Amino acid sequence: MSEMILSDMEEIKINTDVLVVGGGYTGLKAAKGISDSGYSVVLIESDTIIGGEKNPLSFIGIDVTAQDELKRLVDDVAADDAVNVLMNTRLVSAAGVPGDFTIRLATSDGDLEKKIGAIVVATNFSNKPLSGAYGLSLSDSVLTLSQLEYLLSGSDRDRLSNKTIAFMVGFAQEGDALVMERILSNVLAVESIGGCTTYVFAGNLKVASDGLERAYLESRDKGATYFKLKTMPTISPDGESISFIDPVLRKKMELSPDVIVIEEEILADEMNPLLAAILRIDVGPGGFLQTDNIHRFPVQSNREGIFVIGGTRDVQNIPTALMDVENAVLEINHLLKDGKIVVPKNKAVLDIGKCTFCITCYRLCPHGAIYWDNTNKPVISPVACQGCGICASDCPMDAIQIGNYSDAEIMDKIKSNGSAAPDDLRIVAFCCQNSAYEAGLMADAFQMETPANLQVIKVPCAGKVDLDYIMKAFVEGADGVLVMACHPGNCKSEKGNTYAEWRVVDAHRMLEETGLEKERLGFVTLASNMGIGFSSAVVDLENRLKALGTSPFNK
Amino acid sequence: MSTENNKIMVIGGGIAGLTAAWELSRLGASVELVEKTCFLGGHAIGFCCKATDECVQCGACSVEDMLKKVVGEPGITVHLATEVDKIGKNGIFSVKLKKSSPTVNMPVDGVIKGYSKNNDPLYVVVDKDKAAQIPEGAVDLSELGTTGELEVDAVILASGFQPFNAEIKKTYGYNQFKNVITGMDLERIKRQYGDVIRPSDKKQPETIAFILCVGSRDERLGNLWCSQVCCPYALRMANDIKFKNEEADISVFYMDIQNFGKNFPDFYEKCQSSMNFIRTIPVDIFPVEDDKLKMRYFNEEDGQSVENVFDLVVLAVGITPDPDNKNLAKLLEIGLNVDGFLGGIDPLNRTRTANEGVFIAGTVEGPKSIAGSMAQAGQAAAEVMKYLEVNK
Ligand SMILES: Cc1cc2nc3c(=O)[nH]c(=O)nc-3n(C[C@H](O)[C@H](O)[C@H](O)COP(=O)(O)OP(=O)(O)OC[C@H]3O[C@@H](n4cnc5c(N)ncnc54)[C@H](O)[C@@H]3O)c2cc1C
Ligand code: SF4
Ligand code: SF4
Ligand code: SF4
Ligand code: SF4
Repeated sequence: MSEMILSDMEEIKINTDVLVVGGGYTGLKAAKGISDSGYSVVLIESDTIIGGEKNPLSFIGIDVTAQDELKRLVDDVAADDAVNVLMNTRLVSAAGVPGDFTIRLATSDGDLEKKIGAIVVATNFSNKPLSGAYGLSLSDSVLTLSQLEYLLSGSDRDRLSNKTIAFMVGFAQEGDALVMERILSNVLAVESIGGCTTYVFAGNLKVASDGLERAYLESRDKGATYFKLKTMPTISPDGESISFIDPVLRKKMELSPDVIVIEEEILADEMNPLLAAILRIDVGPGGFLQTDNIHRFPVQSNREGIFVIGGTRDVQNIPTALMDVENAVLEINHLLKDGKIVVPKNKAVLDIGKCTFCITCYRLCPHGAIYWDNTNKPVISPVACQGCGICASDCPMDAIQIGNYSDAEIMDKIKSNGSAAPDDLRIVAFCCQNSAYEAGLMADAFQMETPANLQVIKVPCAGKVDLDYIMKAFVEGADGVLVMACHPGNCKSEKGNTYAEWRVVDAHRMLEETGLEKERLGFVTLASNMGIGFSSAVVDLENRLKALGTSPFNK
Repeated sequence: MSTENNKIMVIGGGIAGLTAAWELSRLGASVELVEKTCFLGGHAIGFCCKATDECVQCGACSVEDMLKKVVGEPGITVHLATEVDKIGKNGIFSVKLKKSSPTVNMPVDGVIKGYSKNNDPLYVVVDKDKAAQIPEGAVDLSELGTTGELEVDAVILASGFQPFNAEIKKTYGYNQFKNVITGMDLERIKRQYGDVIRPSDKKQPETIAFILCVGSRDERLGNLWCSQVCCPYALRMANDIKFKNEEADISVFYMDIQNFGKNFPDFYEKCQSSMNFIRTIPVDIFPVEDDKLKMRYFNEEDGQSVENVFDLVVLAVGITPDPDNKNLAKLLEIGLNVDGFLGGIDPLNRTRTANEGVFIAGTVEGPKSIAGSMAQAGQAAAEVMKYLEVNK
């Protein structure tokens, strides 16, 4: 939430029940953690069992500690009265805002409606065999990693003794540390079986996770041979021979393993797109439910009160997923408190008298903070609203005002020109509080060069910069105007910077129509640590203005 | 769950410590944040933005963000230039604080910028005689630091890491040849100048080599871990250099390239198509004319020795344990792991330690990124809540 200091606060009551979607390891762990901190939980699982027992190895592999922990967890959750587990259940719809969601669930006994305060999404990965990409079909001697894991954890494992086993990883996909972790634990397990010889053919060894470099070295010490190749080795279609150039000996080699184990690709849950649509949250790369934006880390979605954990948001191992769980528990505590929370009254205020119900604001709000009440009028949730002002700038009726950044307040600032250097070229810079404004402070603190007559106007998000503000600044005698936003992909409101850039493009057109050089208006993106970037952007504009001279409006 | 009326000490004011302090304070606890140096933010507060025409999610600006939150938070008391002298446990922890003697990387004019409450810049004068100009309100380093006693209910240790000392790899000539720099230097240079420049002449380098895994994954040194952050920062930086200067000729010497970010395969493909990736560990570096550097390495493809000249060589140093970890382990009665990082006792939840009530977060526990340090700090804060609930 933004750091505005607002005098007008109100206390509101909210629902503190929590919905957890997904009954795998992370979902169960989250349900338990949330219930332990005093909230009631509804946990839904589309399957007929919890704990992902149908495919227990898909996530936790052959790690025995994790398997034991999972069993304990299933029992703990079953014994916990504050966790209501609904199997065979799917989420159908979710309306409302944090603290007051109304969800519909499709259960085996028909539909169910519930009121809840927050939602945690904990869907699972799926594994895709990549044997096809190696030109192989699965057989007794061509196994996927999952098949090997089953074999290793069952009574059949001695079938592998005295065999030569070749692993393939990193040729059919770039791979990641989780795939590597699974490969390494399987290599180590195979080496503990009598008489096995193991070869690992690898692209890049993805060892960027705790203990993997050691596991790699240990497996080598125990006899595994690694061939790091730039391209996939040639494998005969029956999987019986592998030929390649050994990069160390630089010589052509051929190997005939008894078993080839093929890497798998870890994919996002197939359910994710549907869930995203129901919950109105963004889908990120690879179908995971989190955009690649540092402001979302670790467990935030673009909507307040909806958290994404574990395999829902990224490919990650169990310790990392557990970090997610605890971060979600923290966030839920911060949000729901004891059911009474204090929120600012004027973060975004909608004057329903002016509203023409055009739904622009509802469509644009990146945080899903606007909903329609039962009289069919838009309402802004003070809990969900982040005060970015994106809705306010695009409302055709100017019906929305943002606390501390009302149109009147910003217009006053534009008019004020309290600068000490009235003779110098006047520059007005609209700066996003998250990035450019901070960069400006840094430029000041380190005494970097800035124009004498620079007026910085802080905005909650560059998306708050209205076309009117830019034109007003010129009318009020600015010689140049800058709109300074976060870098694309770094906006807390995802698209505030994009909207700002579009408005600058519109303003360029309008400037040309009024006969003003469009070079007087610039759009720049910065990060908060770019004091020097701030300095050079404002100095650049000043230099351009020097060539253009004073604004004709200013004479 | 609430930690109101509880007091928690956080040791270390890097991104992990800042995040832990902030999370705890948001839950209503009062936090004593103890930082050895005279500024907050740790290593990452000196990092630069690596965005091209888009953010590459390096995380450097989240440190600024968190710093701003912490210094504006009344529930957090910051003790700069302070260390824990003694700590005893009898249900609660009795702590004795002492002034530290911070060694600072002093800039030429003898003034460094720390942070005080409300995020006002706090200027610390390290050496009055060397300070060209003493800013108004500057504090003399000798005036900083807290001595005294405290009682706290729980402790989070977030004392961070040390970047690998590149001088140890003698054949690379770090600190001997001006234009051999480390990743730490590169972060600092880019933050200060806004661009990558050569230290010798402040000019834009045209041929640049990045050597990965310097001090990590090194059996000879016994550093048997991947630092997890050097591939990311090196490639993000290289990508940005290439974006600003299409002509730049960049070579990356590597063993294996590690993933980072959610779009890694695309990012890596872009790098591969615009830079030279050479799988080898270079042998040595010599200075040649114009402060350029001649590097020798073996070519994997034909086994021949190759010599190549670069304007700038960047050693992608990794994360190593702070030598002080041994003392901290003793002080806090927690374990040190084989690699010299402070070891958790639970492989699934690495914030727990052998001393109940003491939790760890960030790179003191092992290599991790800024985002990873923040996530673990959140986890540690949640663990503190649970611990206090049980031990009320
Ligand atoms: C060259 C380089 C580049 C990097 N680039 C990136 C990047 O682009 N993106 C990224 O995500 N990560 C990057 N990293 C990793 C990043 O630096 C770390 O993840 C992060 O700084 C860890 O934060 P921390 O709080 O754990 O430790 P630190 O930053 O080391 O902070 C620890 C703090 O504790 C203090 N302290 C130490 N001992 C004591 C004591 N006894 N008492 C009191 N205080 C103490 C220290 O003074 C310091 O302020 C990079 C690392 C390196 C080496
Ligand atoms: S667009 Fe921004 S200001 Fe408007 S309701 Fe949504 S979060 Fe609030
Ligand atoms: S954008 Fe303005 S006019 Fe349109 S629905 Fe929202 S408040 Fe009403
Ligand atoms: S590249 Fe790094 S510092 Fe720059 S905006 Fe993105 S996360 Fe922030
Ligand atoms: S992250 Fe890359 S450079 Fe750093 S130790 Fe790991 S493999 Fe080497």
